[in-house]
Amino acid sequence: MTPSTQAPGVGAYLQAALACVATTLLTLPLLGMVDAANIVMLFLLVVALVAVWLGSGPAILAAFGCVALFDYFFVPPRFSMAVADMQYLITFAVMLVVALVIGQLAARLRDKARLATAREHEMRSLYGMAKDLSGAIAADQVADILQRFLKQRLEVEAVLYLPDAHDELRAIPVRAPGDGRQPHVRAVYEQGQPMHLAAEESRCAPALALPLVSPLRTRGVLLVYSDHAERFCDPERRPLLDAVASLTAIAVERLHYGEVLQQVTLDMESERLRSALLSAVSHDLRTPLTVLVGLADALTVSRPELPPSVVESAAAIRDQALRLSGMVHKLLDMARLQTGKVVLNREWQPLEEVVGSSLQVLAQLLAGREIRLELASDLPVLEFDAVLLERVLCNLLENAAKYAPQGDIVIAAATAGDLVEVSVADSGPGFPPDGETRIFELFERGRQVGGTTGVGLGLAICRAIVEAHGGRIWAEQRAAGGTRMVFSLPRGTPPVLEEEAGA
Amino acid sequence: MHDDRPLILLVEDEPQIRRFVCAALEDEGRVIEAASAAAALEAFSGPGPALAIIDLGLPDRDGVDLIRELRSWTQLPLLVLSARAAEAEKVAALDAGADDYLTKPFGVQELRARVRALLRRQKVGAGETVIEFGRIRVDRVHRVVTRDGAAIHLTPIEYRLLGVLLANAGRVLTHRQLLQDVWGPGHVERGHYLRIYIGHLRQKLEVEPARPCHLLTETGVGYRFQLQDCAP
Repeated sequence: MTPSTQAPGVGAYLQAALACVATTLLTLPLLGMVDAANIVMLFLLVVALVAVWLGSGPAILAAFGCVALFDYFFVPPRFSMAVADMQYLITFAVMLVVALVIGQLAARLRDKARLATAREHEMRSLYGMAKDLSGAIAADQVADILQRFLKQRLEVEAVLYLPDAHDELRAIPVRAPGDGRQPHVRAVYEQGQPMHLAAEESRCAPALALPLVSPLRTRGVLLVYSDHAERFCDPERRPLLDAVASLTAIAVERLHYGEVLQQVTLDMESERLRSALLSAVSHDLRTPLTVLVGLADALTVSRPELPPSVVESAAAIRDQALRLSGMVHKLLDMARLQTGKVVLNREWQPLEEVVGSSLQVLAQLLAGREIRLELASDLPVLEFDAVLLERVLCNLLENAAKYAPQGDIVIAAATAGDLVEVSVADSGPGFPPDGETRIFELFERGRQVGGTTGVGLGLAICRAIVEAHGGRIWAEQRAAGGTRMVFSLPRGTPPVLEEEAGA
Repeated sequence: MHDDRPLILLVEDEPQIRRFVCAALEDEGRVIEAASAAAALEAFSGPGPALAIIDLGLPDRDGVDLIRELRSWTQLPLLVLSARAAEAEKVAALDAGADDYLTKPFGVQELRARVRALLRRQKVGAGETVIEFGRIRVDRVHRVVTRDGAAIHLTPIEYRLLGVLLANAGRVLTHRQLLQDVWGPGHVERGHYLRIYIGHLRQKLEVEPARPCHLLTETGVGYRFQLQDCAP
């Protein structure tokens, strides 16, 4: 509704004519007392005032009218358009030109002033909207503010399209399922360019889709529509629409970062809680287990010697407490691994070392079993977290010892392309036919073996650790009977060692 | 009756753990109990203990901090009690000056073995010129290493590494300590050098390098050199 475009009506011209007549009537009595040149000044003043109040058209009319009236009433011979003194012709010409120039200038000034007022009004309303947007804490509110603003200022409807977590655009307010504009809106979102949608293209009212472009990416699409397409097609309205779109983009971006911040805070909080809980639980479980193991073990070696049955019971208590402790450790390991934020303490080292340390850890469990090592002599150094990989090997060895109580256990390692494959094989009964992947799930046990305890955590832990290292773990049936658990680790590029002088 | 058993200071806030440690160490020495770091320092006002066992989770003070303070004025052997999955804590305690650690839960035999080893180390010291382990003989005066009388060639770094390990036999040395002692203070971040050289030493000195008897790995912490042959 910019006022500059408004043409002055007939009334304005009538008013201009009346002003000229009134001036003539008021100045007539002054004739004889005032010089004609000063009367010309009064007429010029009236033309200027008409221009300011009524615009340029009426000012032109007033300029001609005033010259004519001056000639008729004031220039001798009076009451006739004839001119006795030819000098007056110069007066008329100058008067007309000056009146026209003043009139045009004054009218232009008036238009500019009106335009400035209108712009100020526009800015004020935009500012008001920006303020509202900055207070919005949800996408619904943003859409609501937009709709109200555009309805009020431009009399158009608005829909906000924002991407969800899967980058699918969702309309706010929600549209009916068969939204014919959706594909076009998608295109605008992807290309970041505004697009006019004609009515027939989308089987709805004509619309304009504006991308919400923020510095980093397009944050969504603002769609305005109305049955009167000129309400948003008018080039004079585009700057306002563009301004609305960029304000909305900023508001949506702010909402997005607000959500991210909230999520991060939430994650940190739950992570803090989880680790606090873990360390509390592990401490509270460890102390009684340490006491239980220690006291029961002390009984088995106490002097004077206790009756054999008592010693046996004490040893059983100790062993069960140790087993319980092992289970608690596995649960805690799994809980830590499941947070998905395990920090690997990776170092380049020979695989041999961690095989040796695993056997050392399980020395008691594996006592009396034949362990064959088939480690290729050309194994490269690998980059891994020794503590975690030791846990993998220990879990695999424990399983082998548990499910295959007899026969030898073979630990083998060899390079296979970009990988090194490490395997632990037993000669037990193997795993159920469909169990290749299932056995790596949490709380899944390969085979219910009478009297064999366990909660099915071991392999799930192995998988989590191996995958964190960028490797893979799987199970194979041995041709000769038994299970072969294999995991692979990427070889990577080992660091170059400085050659030692005198080596 | 005069009691000439060595004094063992036990710093542990859990009374039940103190109880069984006291029972287990009856043969090794006389145990003085302290439930806090303050009480532990108090214990040094009387006749000095020959060994201290310190739980890292003390109520009044960080255990590592206590070790650092003790180490500033005494060389007495320090054995640390720590949790599994707390490798960083163990490393910190060892770097602060602890000699060895035990992971909870632990058995009586394990505890006794560690205590005995530390007390013996205290008595013997590390002044011997010829050291033998397994089939290996190290003559430190002539810098010769032999297996069953046949010379084994070690590079200067390998020999230096072996020397540091032998001088600290029975103790756990952290990666940082070994790197610092063998390669120098500027090399503590080059963990892979250490691991690879340990591998070389095992190839040359151990009967079965993948199942070492002497050059033992303390995963995530460091290495321990054991003079005794492993159980068959």
